[in-house]
Amino acid sequence: MAWTLALPELVLALCGLAILLIGVLPKRDTFFPMAMAVTGSLLLAAVLVLGQQEGVALNGLYVADSFSSFMKVLALIGAALGLLLALDYNTRERLNRFEYPVLVLFATLGMMVMISANDLMSVYLGLELLSLPLYVMAAFDRDAGRSAEAGLKYFVLGALASGLLLYGASLVYGFAGTTNFDRLAAAFAAQEGVSPGVVVGLVFVMAGLAFKISAVPFHMWTPDVYEGAPTPVTAFFAAAPKVAALALLARVLLGPFADLAAQWQQVVVLISIASMLLGAFAAIGQRNLKRLMAYSSIGHVGYALMGLAVVSDVGLRGLIVYIAIYVFMNIGAFAVLVAMRRSGRAVEQVEDLAGLGRTDPAMALWMAVFMFSMAGIPPLAGFFGKLYVFLAAVQGGYWTLAVIGVLTSVVAAYYYLRIVKVMYFDQPPEAALERAPPSLSVVMATTGLFNLAFCLFPAPMLAAAGIAAAALLG
Amino acid sequence: MIAAAAFYLFAAILIASAVMVVTARNPVHSVLFLILAFFNAAALFLIAGAEFLAMILVIVYVGAVAVLFLFVVMMLDIDFARLREGFQRYAPIGAIVGGILFLELVLVLGAWTFADQAEALRIAPTPPSPVTNTEALGLLLYTDYIYLFQAAGLILLVAMIGAIVLTLRGRPAMRRQNIAVQIARSGSVAAEKVPVGAGIRELGIRRPPPPEETRRLAEPAHGEADHGERH
Amino acid sequence: MDGFLASPAGVLVITVAQTLALLVPVLIAVAYLTWAERKVLAAIQLRKGPNVVGPFGLLQPFADAIKMLMKETVIPSGANRLLFIMAPMLTFLLAMVAWAVIPVQDGWAIADINVGILYLFAISSLGVYGIIIAGWASNSKYAFLGALRSAAQMVSYEVSIGFVIVTVLLCVGSLNLTQIVRAQESVWFFIPLFPMFVIFFISALAETNRAPFDLPEGESELVAGFFVEYSSMSFALFFLGEYANMILMSALATILFLGGWLPPINAEPFTWIPGFVWFALKVALCLFVFIWARATFPRYRYDQLMRLGWKVFLPFSLFWLVLTAGVLKLTGWLPA
Repeated sequence: MAWTLALPELVLALCGLAILLIGVLPKRDTFFPMAMAVTGSLLLAAVLVLGQQEGVALNGLYVADSFSSFMKVLALIGAALGLLLALDYNTRERLNRFEYPVLVLFATLGMMVMISANDLMSVYLGLELLSLPLYVMAAFDRDAGRSAEAGLKYFVLGALASGLLLYGASLVYGFAGTTNFDRLAAAFAAQEGVSPGVVVGLVFVMAGLAFKISAVPFHMWTPDVYEGAPTPVTAFFAAAPKVAALALLARVLLGPFADLAAQWQQVVVLISIASMLLGAFAAIGQRNLKRLMAYSSIGHVGYALMGLAVVSDVGLRGLIVYIAIYVFMNIGAFAVLVAMRRSGRAVEQVEDLAGLGRTDPAMALWMAVFMFSMAGIPPLAGFFGKLYVFLAAVQGGYWTLAVIGVLTSVVAAYYYLRIVKVMYFDQPPEAALERAPPSLSVVMATTGLFNLAFCLFPAPMLAAAGIAAAALLG
Repeated sequence: MIAAAAFYLFAAILIASAVMVVTARNPVHSVLFLILAFFNAAALFLIAGAEFLAMILVIVYVGAVAVLFLFVVMMLDIDFARLREGFQRYAPIGAIVGGILFLELVLVLGAWTFADQAEALRIAPTPPSPVTNTEALGLLLYTDYIYLFQAAGLILLVAMIGAIVLTLRGRPAMRRQNIAVQIARSGSVAAEKVPVGAGIRELGIRRPPPPEETRRLAEPAHGEADHGERH
Repeated sequence: MDGFLASPAGVLVITVAQTLALLVPVLIAVAYLTWAERKVLAAIQLRKGPNVVGPFGLLQPFADAIKMLMKETVIPSGANRLLFIMAPMLTFLLAMVAWAVIPVQDGWAIADINVGILYLFAISSLGVYGIIIAGWASNSKYAFLGALRSAAQMVSYEVSIGFVIVTVLLCVGSLNLTQIVRAQESVWFFIPLFPMFVIFFISALAETNRAPFDLPEGESELVAGFFVEYSSMSFALFFLGEYANMILMSALATILFLGGWLPPINAEPFTWIPGFVWFALKVALCLFVFIWARATFPRYRYDQLMRLGWKVFLPFSLFWLVLTAGVLKLTGWLPA
């Protein structure tokens, strides 16, 4: 049994245990060193992922291929950046307990288990290993009613989603006789027609996963949890877990259930359209930036799913590129949100950005870059993300999807551009926003440069995404 | 024949007590019915020959989890009237959702067929009979499924971290017991020899010295400035 | 005759006979344990103890039983009647049911099941229900507080008992109680696993709510704890259950660590005595230590009790478990 194939996961888990053990011993505050250690562990895991061999191991429960490597590296980078956002904020808000980075690490481990899952049981355990730390992190500011409410709401609805997933998985197991992806694929390929039990099971599994990516019929928790959770936690929620859940959804649908594409395609199309519409229209009236970002992320998931809905290698490549770009736009935008402070207190309304263009031109510039990128305005990275999924939809003949996608982007551009307008054309209030701390400035600059420079060097990422997509589609 | 009769008996009690868990008016009764349900499930396991699972079900769920449930439910101050009002209001919706799910299940089970290769597709067939089922479970759990086993362990670890993060509060003002110091302490309690037959009239009423004096006396005596129990 | 004994009805008759043959001595032992406790305590405190009813007070337990039976059963007006009556029955029943798997001699168990030790562990973990239900159903704050204390206490100490049992299992390789005793033919486990024996014994004190861990019934703060509202036979059932549990825990200690029915030296004069006598002697020794501890130690404070369970016993038993596993693996003594 080639257990060494899962070396990145093993190393990350051992690092997590060691950090937990070391962090708990000293009496004084160990938040910063532990956060640095976790960042180091995440990067170490990313390096190990890059050097990973391909294959199936651990009794068929674990798979490593180009797709998993790409998505894992993306999730690890997203998690590391998300943790960097918390450094300054958590210290100032007295959330600087060392368990925070440890929870980030275990959540990331859960993502890696999900991405590498080759069995419905690994799927479930990975999902739970991701979800439990997220519930705790949402309630991390335990003395604030909002945060506790967010944690509780997320926990209850997340448990429901897990229940749906398990229900679906047990139905699939009952009708197919196995939970292993390869054997499931073989069973469905050999079978004449599809039994309704498998389809019902598949729909429940999709519902459980759709909850995690907050796609439309299962999105209700998103705005409340995003608003209530501490801002760096929201930033973390919006980036890395989405990568893992989308990767998992793609692997489940295109792996074991590839022969049932006719059954699930309609569902994905509907979810995609509904998410794009809701993301575009529900955010228009939002004045709270975190809620606005919640709706924006729902919309983005809709676009990404469009790549899955067309069931082709071009579409899958579009999805991969989209989610990669989404992570960098989102982390950057949240870096600005985390940095928003007026006279020592965190603020989060759209009006609080007024006049930022004059008081802090650098931060305003980066925010403008992220907003333009999210709106999909060329030549920023977000434009290319949308371009590839729309192209795939057009090539596949899914005109409705493409047209709705373009129209909703136009609508969504309104609220992104409104933020830019508020920053540059509104009167600043008496007290300006505080300067961003260095850790956040670095994150803003890095992600901002990525968004700016992507148009110049798109080839490496496109090539990598192409290889990853080819690996999944076989 | 006896096994079949026992199966139907336990299954019937299981279902009946499960219904009572939901419908019992008193939450404590609900938990007690839940325990009864666990017991009957354990009995069903026994009938199926899974003796290890049966015992573990009783130990873990009845012996530990349900005790904590009972603990919480007994301590909670639940307003039964309000609870029932909510139940009645949402009962129709719940019934509709439940009905739909039930119909779906009926539809699904109506077309129940195992995959043709189900037998061959099994990853972990049961080992042959001389192995007891405790050993069989161990053989699978710690070899074929070690990955899932460890992942489940990590999930439990995270749950524990979460519980501590969300509830533990360091209270600087709290007085802590330092057992080592307490045991090592000497001289705070002293036996004193009094003359035989002497009463209060002769000896006077002995009072302990006032606190500040004790501290002044005690500190040089054994040089411990920060006894937890005296702060 | 053989044909009848093999039929379902015959099996039933045999089982009932076996059960009676075991439970009647156990109940008599319970009765005389109360007498022995009073005598031993008296001896330790330089008193005489019961000496009026019968020679050496030997008929005292029966006098007590008659007194209990004659009393009136009082059910408090605010109590939950059904549960109030069920709780003592449950306690007593569980204390009796556990005896089904105890082998008092080689092959002398009513049910020699594969997972015997798990069965015992399961039954002993249920003991808490009698107490917690009694405390709640009494509708009295003293009883309720006693019940809550006891629930927390029993759940805490069960964890370390579990690890102790697992350590023994590692050395045996079977969950069957008869196998566990047979594995001690060369050396009784209390010698190699002495620290675990100590932990097991102390945890057993806590599990049976005996002094110095008798917090659930702490007279000074809780009047009499969870059974303050009970009288007459319902009280007597709790009383019997507690003492039967003591005997059960001693029997478990005997089986796990003191070699069950095995004689101390496997040589002539010792092997003349039948195994069940050795078993009874060992149980009696454990019970004496139970009473001795009661006479010697002051009651623990509640936070100290919890600290001992979670911060001392749990890590230590876990450490010893890993150590045992490591030693067995390295030396190749791991049972097949």
